[in-house]
This record gives sequence, structure tokens and C-alpha cells, in this order.
Amino acid sequence: MSLINRRGLLAAGLALPALGARAQTTQMTAAVYPGGWDEALRAVLAPRLLQQHNVAVSFDPLFAVDQIAKARAARGTPPFDVFVLDPGPRVSGMDLGLFETFDPARLPSRAVLPTGYADTVGAAVAAQVVGIAYNPQKLPKPAGWRDLFQPQYASKLGLTGFGTTFGTISLIEMAKALGGSETNMDPLFAELRRIKPSVAAVAAPAAMPGLFQQGQIDVMYTNTYTVTLLRSRGVPIAFAVPESGAAAFVTSMHIAKNSRNIAAAYQYIDAMISTPVQSALALDPYFFVPVNKDVTPGADVPMRSISEITNFVTHDWSRINPLRAGWISRFNREMAG
Amino acid sequence: MNNAGVWRLALPLGLAQLLFFAAPLLILLSTSLATDENLTQGSLRAWREVLGDAFHIQSVLNTLRLGALTVLATMLLAVPLALVHMAAGPRVKRLILIVAVLPLLTSVVVRTFSWIVILGREGVINSTLVASGLATAPTALLQTEPGLILALTQIEMPLMLLPLIAATARIDPSLLDASTSLGASLGRTLGRVVLPLALPGLIAGATLVFASAATAFISQSVIGGGRLNYLPALVWQQAMVVFDWPLAAAMALTLMGSVLMVVGALNLLGRNARHA
Amino acid sequence: MLDATPTNLGHCLDMDGVRVRYGQTLAVRDVTLSVAPGEILALLGPSGCGKTTLLRTVAGFIQAEAGQVLVDGRAIDHLPPGKRGVGIVFQSYALFPHMSAAQNVAYGLEARGMPKAEIIRRVEASLAAVRMESFGARRPAALSGGQQQRVALARALAIEPAILLLDEPFAALDRSLRLDLQLEIKRIQRRFGVTCVLVTHDQDEAMSMADRMAVMRAGVVEQVGPPTELYDTPATAFVAGFVGTTNRLHGRIEARDGAGYAVRLDAGATVTVESPRGFDLGARVMLCARPEQLTLRPPEDTDPGAWPARLRLSLPLGPALIHDLEAGSAEVKIQQPRHGAPPPPGDVRIAILPGAKPSLFSEGDSA
Repeated sequence: MSLINRRGLLAAGLALPALGARAQTTQMTAAVYPGGWDEALRAVLAPRLLQQHNVAVSFDPLFAVDQIAKARAARGTPPFDVFVLDPGPRVSGMDLGLFETFDPARLPSRAVLPTGYADTVGAAVAAQVVGIAYNPQKLPKPAGWRDLFQPQYASKLGLTGFGTTFGTISLIEMAKALGGSETNMDPLFAELRRIKPSVAAVAAPAAMPGLFQQGQIDVMYTNTYTVTLLRSRGVPIAFAVPESGAAAFVTSMHIAKNSRNIAAAYQYIDAMISTPVQSALALDPYFFVPVNKDVTPGADVPMRSISEITNFVTHDWSRINPLRAGWISRFNREMAG
Repeated sequence: MNNAGVWRLALPLGLAQLLFFAAPLLILLSTSLATDENLTQGSLRAWREVLGDAFHIQSVLNTLRLGALTVLATMLLAVPLALVHMAAGPRVKRLILIVAVLPLLTSVVVRTFSWIVILGREGVINSTLVASGLATAPTALLQTEPGLILALTQIEMPLMLLPLIAATARIDPSLLDASTSLGASLGRTLGRVVLPLALPGLIAGATLVFASAATAFISQSVIGGGRLNYLPALVWQQAMVVFDWPLAAAMALTLMGSVLMVVGALNLLGRNARHA
Repeated sequence: MLDATPTNLGHCLDMDGVRVRYGQTLAVRDVTLSVAPGEILALLGPSGCGKTTLLRTVAGFIQAEAGQVLVDGRAIDHLPPGKRGVGIVFQSYALFPHMSAAQNVAYGLEARGMPKAEIIRRVEASLAAVRMESFGARRPAALSGGQQQRVALARALAIEPAILLLDEPFAALDRSLRLDLQLEIKRIQRRFGVTCVLVTHDQDEAMSMADRMAVMRAGVVEQVGPPTELYDTPATAFVAGFVGTTNRLHGRIEARDGAGYAVRLDAGATVTVESPRGFDLGARVMLCARPEQLTLRPPEDTDPGAWPARLRLSLPLGPALIHDLEAGSAEVKIQQPRHGAPPPPGDVRIAILPGAKPSLFSEGDSA
């Protein structure tokens, strides 16, 4: 470290308390998914929030299920001010009364969101598009969900259960393609039982990208984010939109019940959906799918604007959630041994 | 210091133990006996579901079996290594210790993911086997019990090796000279003198490895995968995904109870070994 | 052999030009020693002199770089320790802590594949020989130091070794126990007629146990012979100093005088000393006199062979009196039979007791 740098640091260190004294900085805490989300929001969102609104956010990296569990365990005193959740946990949070009633009018940027993306529960901040990922050097492009049960795909397939949102909606799409429905998994389980001896892996969701990278599996169901990320690391991977359509869902933010920083929380969510932040998050290395109508999604995302999301398959999580525990347990048992 | 003085000194720690260890355990127990996590109503539903269900019983047995096999595998490797350490000069001794401790310096997560690279269909082991002509097609290692045991053996090795080395290092070298001079072969010296004297270390290592391998949540789910069901992953799933806390609590207590039973048995064995 | 009938069928042990090297240093330098059948030879010397290394070479734990170890004239260098017919009692006894006394004694017999009944008989006989027959079921931890040593001895003797090696066997014992055990071991050794090498740094132990002693220093045997010979006629100043107590008196050869020399001591007397060694006239020498070879004279004594000194203290030690004196810059100790009250401190003179034969060494002979 050069002398000048050290001086600079020293000066900054001396200046910080002075800055705090001049204008009271608001402190808030936000839950964030560990990994990519954590990195992206720290790098893009936090500096902008501090600059625009003088709000300093500290992040608590937690998966969606962990956020719900932590908020529940806290019993009324929220451990953080803002949740970030996928549709399944979002419905759980609603059922458990973990959120403040949300007022979209308090988001100055709400016009950039498609209709219905901000409601009395929370606001959508990113989308996920789920479909089939495959290795184009090893396999031809699959046409749809049914193909995964063909021997050439099944023997290279990585399965993951109902533990995650993308896993759940992919399996539901497969069930529908096999003659079932959003609430009827029987045809799916019958087919899973048939191909079980030949599938390449039945794995924890977090292990899937690693297994794909290592060639243990050559086809899996996942979101466009994972595909783009793996390809940026040199893994031969491509995204296939099933003939029944890719499934989409949005990740949303919610204000925790009894939060003491409600104003800052709205500023945080507003900054998140703002065009500069959404544009930056859509780029390398973050590869978010934007919910802002003015921002163009990345090349792997099969849409040119979030407005096209109405063409995608969506799901009713208030119907899925009550059945999910049973499916999880059934998947465990069916896949055992 | 008199007895009362010792008690007074130990009391704060004892109370802290009670508060931070016994209390959560009590909460866990009462949760397992309730219909939901708010303990609104008592119910044996969770316990019936754990103990009255072949799938869950099988998962308990799988978990114990995994711990036992990992103990055996680490022993198989650690015992020769400890013997080499015993016979070696100071430089090799230090090297063995460093190699033994090194895995502890990387996180379990990193070690676990590295094993995907080694065990995978296109991993180090399979490419070596296929390239050398020993196998025509890749063998399934990842997501199999042998593969998981292999990985756990490396991951848990320090827990076996360190107590074992501590025990063998305490063996008076003149005992080996005595055995040799009395006409015993190397095998007899190892079997009758070294191993019996190293037994306390071996049992301590077995206890640590067993408890650690049986509860190695990350390695079990990442390397073992969805076909192999072990209690830790089921507990996590019930608690964090399904939100069935009574069932998760009952499973957690079952895991704890069964691991404690094995650890207790090993302890008893260790006490006998010391007195035997 | 373990039965009551004593045997005299010992074996002889020869070390012939044994050289042991540890890295750059020679720990044992071409040592040649013979131990007669049934004899106890003590290897005596300060720590690091190579005595233990020599013992471990005989035992087979260390390979000699040159030379041979022979039992009854046959080289045993190529044999592993267990096949050399050598029994060892270790400094720490090296009893197996997880086995009973009887199991310890049986260990070597089992290793030899002896029938069970025979093992039981021999274990009982061995334990009886060391008077430990009633302690066979005890673990070493439940035995006293002396008892452990007896078990270690029984274990070494049970395999009927040709040679018994004792490595500092009394070092870990209370001084009060040592003499009893030394006598007992000697008694047992005599009864078994086993040839024995004892390593020790304790001259008293060597004196009381050994038929002959070999004093070692820096890997070399300085002198070997019966304890009395080493005491009375040490071959080097080192031996004189290491075996027994000695007073070093410096002086110069003044004249040849028949079988000896007239030595002018720096303290101011001229004494006549016999010596097998030759010295030039005027050479600087060192006279090594045992405390009992000197005597006190009154201060008015005019003998030219006496020199002045100051008596500082007299200590009664059993039947003897130890006088602590100062002669110039030198300290002198004198031991005399105790007759009546000790003399008062003050000026005295010292003389060599008539008939005493102190040793004379060249001053360059370092010690």
C-alpha cells in the first residue's frame, strides 16, 4: 500500500463519522439469497440506496425457506426489514402473516412494472424463466418435458425434488405433459419410478450445477440464470424452451411485519426496480431477468421484455403449497434405494 | 480448595450449560410432542410417523450404517498411517501430521464439492480407469454409498488419525524393543502390544468419526444425492421446506438418540479397554 | 535351568572392534571387550559415552558399522534381536502395561510357540525365582518400582537367554531400595549362571554388582578390570576421577627415585610416588590421591613430605571422619577412621599416608 493510499484511507476513516453527523443515515436490514443475489445487491443496489436516500442497508444472506423459518422463530420481532422470496415461500409468508400490508403507491418507480407486479403483499423485483438445460455437445435439443423420459435423456438426467420453486414447477410441468395436472402428480411418479434405475443423478438442488459442470449429468431442469452463469464459465450448456412453453415466476420483495424502517424499506424496493439498477443487474456477471419494462433481458432469456411474461406458463401457489409437503415426502420415498 | 468451593466455581458454567444446552433440547422434545410448533396441543403424531414408518426406520438404519462403514474405512487407512508415524523420524512425523491436519483447513463444503470432481462420471477416478483400460465404461461412484463413504473417509480422516496418533505417540518405544527382543514377530508386536495400547485412541477416533459422518448433512446430500436417505437431510427438509416442525423435532431426537447410543457403546468399550 | 539346581554353563560374549556411527559422529569407537561365562561386566561412564549404544548393538537394535559381536565364538550380527538369545531389562522396565505380570513373563514364551502347559510351568518358576509368585495376576501399574523390576527380570530370564543385558536397571528406583535389589539380582544371576552386561552411570552400582568394570568415555573404553583394580590403579586421570573420589594435586617431577619419582607439589611439599608410567624430569604432573590415602598432621610437623592446609570442617560419617580442607587454592578431602572427638578447625598439615599408593598422571592428561 502506498503512502498516498494510506493517507487516503485515513482521511476516509476520519471523514466517515463527520458524514454521519451531517445527515442522519438510516440503517436497515434486508434478507438476500446467498451467492449471486448477495453479490449483486451489495455491488449495485446498496451504493445507489446510500447515495439517493442516505439509507445504509446491511444484508442477511438467507435462502427463502430460511427467511421464513427465521422470521417465524423470531415471533413478532423481525430479524430483517425486507424479505426476498419465490412464489411458494411468498404464499407461506402470507399464510403465516409475516408481511406488512404493501402499498404500491409508495413506490415512485411503480410504472416500470407490468400490471399486477406490485400488490398489497409486495412487489416483484426479478423474474425467473424455467425450462430444460442440456449439453448441446452430447444431446440433441429436447422438444419438451416428455423427452426427458426417453432413454437417451433419462440416462443423462439430473433429478431434483419439490424442495425448490424451480424444481416444483418443472415437475408440475412434467406431470401435466404426462397427463396429470397442477394438483395430480400420479402420472409423473409412475414415470419417475420407471426411469429411476437409469437416471444419472437424484441430487440436492444446490449440487445440480456442479454435477452438470462435471459431466455427471447432461440434462436438467433449471432457470436461465444458471444456464447463463455456467456458460460464462465455459460449460457447454444451452437452454431449451419446452413445446408447452417455458415456465416463469417472479421473485418478490416484502416488508416484514412490525418493521421499524418501513420508509427505508419502500426506498430499498423502489431502488431495486429502478431502471439503472435493473439494467446493471441484467448484465454480466449477475444475469438477472429484469421485471422493469424498460430493460431488455439477456440473450438466454426467451423474451425481449417482461411484458411477454404473459405468454409463459405460471402457477397458482395457493393450490400448490398445501400439496407440496406430500409430494416432497413421496419423492423421497419413490427415489430411495 | 474444598468441595463447596469447586461447586461455587462450577455453578455459573453449569447454569449456562443448562440454559444453552438443556433448554433447547427441552423445547425440541416438547415440539416433537405437539401438533404444531406453537405447542397448542399435545400429539404423538410425529413420533408415530417416525417410528411407525418403514421408510423412516430405514433412514435411521442407513444413517447408522453410513457412520459405521465410515469408521471402518477411516480405521483401515489411519492405523497403517499411525504406525508409519510411530516408526518414522521427526521429519516424516511432522509431514504426516501436516497431511493429517491439512483437510481441516479447508471447509467441509469445499471438500465435498471437490469430491464431485473426483467421483463424477467424467471425474478423475473414472477417466483414469477408462484411460488405463481397467474399465470400459464409467462406473457409478457419485450418488452411491461406496462413493459417499470414500469421500467421507477423506473428510473425516483427521478425526480418526489425530486421536490415534496421540495414543500411539504415548507408547513407550522400549515396549517395542522389549517385544522384539523377546522374539515376537512384527505382527505379534503390532497385534499384542501396539494395537491394544492404541485402542483408547482408536475408540476416541471412532466416536468422533461416527458422530460426524452420521450427521454430515452437506456431504450426505451433495455426494449421496436423493437416492440415499439419511436423517439429517430429512430433518432439514421437514424443518425448512415442509415446515413440519414436530416431525423435524422427532426426527432430530431420533438421530440424536441413535447416534448417542452408538457413542455410548463405544465409550463403554473404551472404558473396558483402559481397564482390560 | 529355572529349577533350583544352579548351573555354571554360562556363555561367553565378545565384542570385537565394534564401531557405531550416528551420522557424522562415532558413538562407539572400535571397542573390544570380552565377558566370561557367568560374569557381570559393568559398562560405566557419563551420559553420552556410548555405553547404551554398545548395549543396544549387542541386543541387535543397532547395526555396527564395523566389528563383530560374538556369543560363544559365533557372530550374531546378522541375527534379529529376538534370535540372539539375549534377554534385556530396560531402564523403564518396559513392562506391557495392559498385561498382568504373568502375561508379561509368558510373552516371550508364547512368541516362541511353546506349549501352554510348559508356558504356565515356566512362568510360575520365573516369578518364583524373583519372589513374585503371588503377584502374577497384577498389572504393572499395581506393582511398586522394585516389584516391576523383578517382573522385568523374570520376563528376561524366562526365555533362558545366553546373555542378560541390564540397561540402567536401578535408575528409576529409590536409593534405599537399590542395594537390596542389586544384591538380589546378583544372587539370581549367580544362580542362573547367566552372562551379564550392566550399563550404568552410577559407580557405586557398578562396584557392588560387577565382576569387572569397563569405564567408557567418548566411545572408547579407557580401562577394564575388576572394580578394586580400577579404584586402586586407575589407568587414566578420567578413570581416577570417575571411579571413587580423588584429590588432584599439581606438581613437577623433581627427581627419579628408585621405582618412583620425587614430586615437588605446588602446595609446598616433596613427596615420593611410585608409578608404572615414565615422566621426564621437570614435567608437570597431577597426583591423584584418594581421601583415605591422605592423613592430617599437626601444624608444627616438620616432615618435608607434608604441606600446610586449613581444616574447615570435619564430618562424622558412620565409622569414618571426612575432613574438608583448603590447601592454597585447592580443596582437599581426607577420610580417616574415627577415633574420639573430631579435631578443631584451623591450621594443619597434610601428608600421604605411609604405604598408600596414589596415582601419578601427566598434567596434559585431561580429566
